[in-house]
Amino acid sequence: MAARSRARNEEAALAAANAHLATLRHDVALTRYANAVTTAKREALQASIATTLGRLATTNATLSNTTAHAVLQGANISTLETCLGGVQNALGQIAAGDNDQAAKDISAVSGPCTQLDGGSSAGLVYPFDFPDPAVILVGQTYYAYATNSVAGNIQIIQSTDRTHWTLVGSALPGLPAWARSHYTWAPAVAMIGGNFVLYYAANVADSGKECISVATATRPQGPFVDRSTAPLECQPALGGSIDPASFIDPNGGLYLLWKSGGPGSSKIWSEQLNETGTAFAPGATPTVLLTPGRPWEAGTVEAPDLVAAGGRYLLFFSGNNWEGANYAVGVATCSGPLGTCTDSSTSPILSSGPGVAGPGGESVFADPSGAYWIAFHGWVPGAVGFPNSRDLYVLPLTVSGPTPVVGAAG
Amino acid sequence: MGIIVGALLAAALGYLIDDQVQAHDQFDRAQTSLGVTRHQTSTVSAQLATLRRDLGLLTAQVGSDTTALNQDASQLQGALGALAAAQAHVSQQSSQIASLSTCLGGVERALNALSVGKKGRAIAALQSVSAACSSAASSSG
Repeated sequence: MAARSRARNEEAALAAANAHLATLRHDVALTRYANAVTTAKREALQASIATTLGRLATTNATLSNTTAHAVLQGANISTLETCLGGVQNALGQIAAGDNDQAAKDISAVSGPCTQLDGGSSAGLVYPFDFPDPAVILVGQTYYAYATNSVAGNIQIIQSTDRTHWTLVGSALPGLPAWARSHYTWAPAVAMIGGNFVLYYAANVADSGKECISVATATRPQGPFVDRSTAPLECQPALGGSIDPASFIDPNGGLYLLWKSGGPGSSKIWSEQLNETGTAFAPGATPTVLLTPGRPWEAGTVEAPDLVAAGGRYLLFFSGNNWEGANYAVGVATCSGPLGTCTDSSTSPILSSGPGVAGPGGESVFADPSGAYWIAFHGWVPGAVGFPNSRDLYVLPLTVSGPTPVVGAAG
Repeated sequence: MGIIVGALLAAALGYLIDDQVQAHDQFDRAQTSLGVTRHQTSTVSAQLATLRRDLGLLTAQVGSDTTALNQDASQLQGALGALAAAQAHVSQQSSQIASLSTCLGGVERALNALSVGKKGRAIAALQSVSAACSSAASSSG
């Protein structure tokens, strides 16, 4: 009986243990299910966190870019306001008759205005109307002269580094009696016998024709005085004479080059000057150096500038319509200052590109080391044609190769 | 008679012995099963403890993840708000720059025209940008 009783007790214990095990197994199943649900929930949460962090990173990057853009634009606005303020001040001074103060106001904002017109990457150095520039080096200072505009009959600016230019004012405060104001174009200046001689185109009051005159000064910044009673050169039958350029031949002799006529009839001329450069040499006659012959010139060659370099005479000139983006600079090779000249290039050496449209009115000059540079005017792309400004650009010029190359040092 | 009694006693004894043997067998089986069940119980208990610990950890992680998500979402909302404000500022600046550039271009053209005596063109140049200049002036405050 005792054995059966023990067996019954053991079976009862077994039943209880099995029931407990069943409960435990049920709990395990429940806990596993809870774990699975919680794991899924956590995975979903982590996916949401990853997505949120991704969006946050993207948003922060965009915000950073936008903030940087805003800072840059803020600087642009500041630059614009500075430039505009200077121009407005200059305008006010001009209205009040104080051109000297106007010149200072404009010079003061030259840097900011240069930035607005695209900076100096394309060679822009003076962001105001400065057409048909002519650059000379006197000592360590460069002087640039230009067609009449805001600064007066013949504008003059100066620089010691070719990049930063300061307005000096008007090189030619007065005009001879035969000339009328507002039409004094394309100057050239030469240092001859210790004096400075200015050649420029002026409009004859009686005929309305543009003709070439000459003025002198004892300093490069002037004032130049024109005591003439008549133009130095005028070709009324050819439509007038403009774009004078002086040339001092290293082999001896002083010459004046210029352009006559309009589209379809333009010619570039040369004639020897006397020793003072204020009149033509006795017995000298004008010689045609160049006529239009290339498609890109569209019937016009003008703005001559003769340079003796590397044993050659290089005649730089501008072609096409001065008021359009197709205006450009070409070069011909001459056997001497009076020709003959051969334009062997089929395309210009300088034409519209990033940051400049319709470059022309060039002036080639050397720095103290003997390296060549080319100054020219150009429209800011998108603002082509008068009364928009033809700004001043300066770029290095290489003349050692078969064809001069603009923009390459040396 | 004696033989009958003896046989009965022997039968009774045999029954008792057999019953004892069965009870022992029953006990042994129950004990063995109980041992197995107790072992299984121990294993399942350990399993359950591990699972419960894991669940506790997971639940805590879900809690911290939820907090992190809320913080991230809050940061995202802040960044989106700042971005919208910055973009609006840039847009306003762009408009101001366009007005200033237009105004400056007109002033410059007017200056150029004035300098060569073309007052009509100067006035036309200024008139063409008067709205832009007014807009630029008001934007500049």
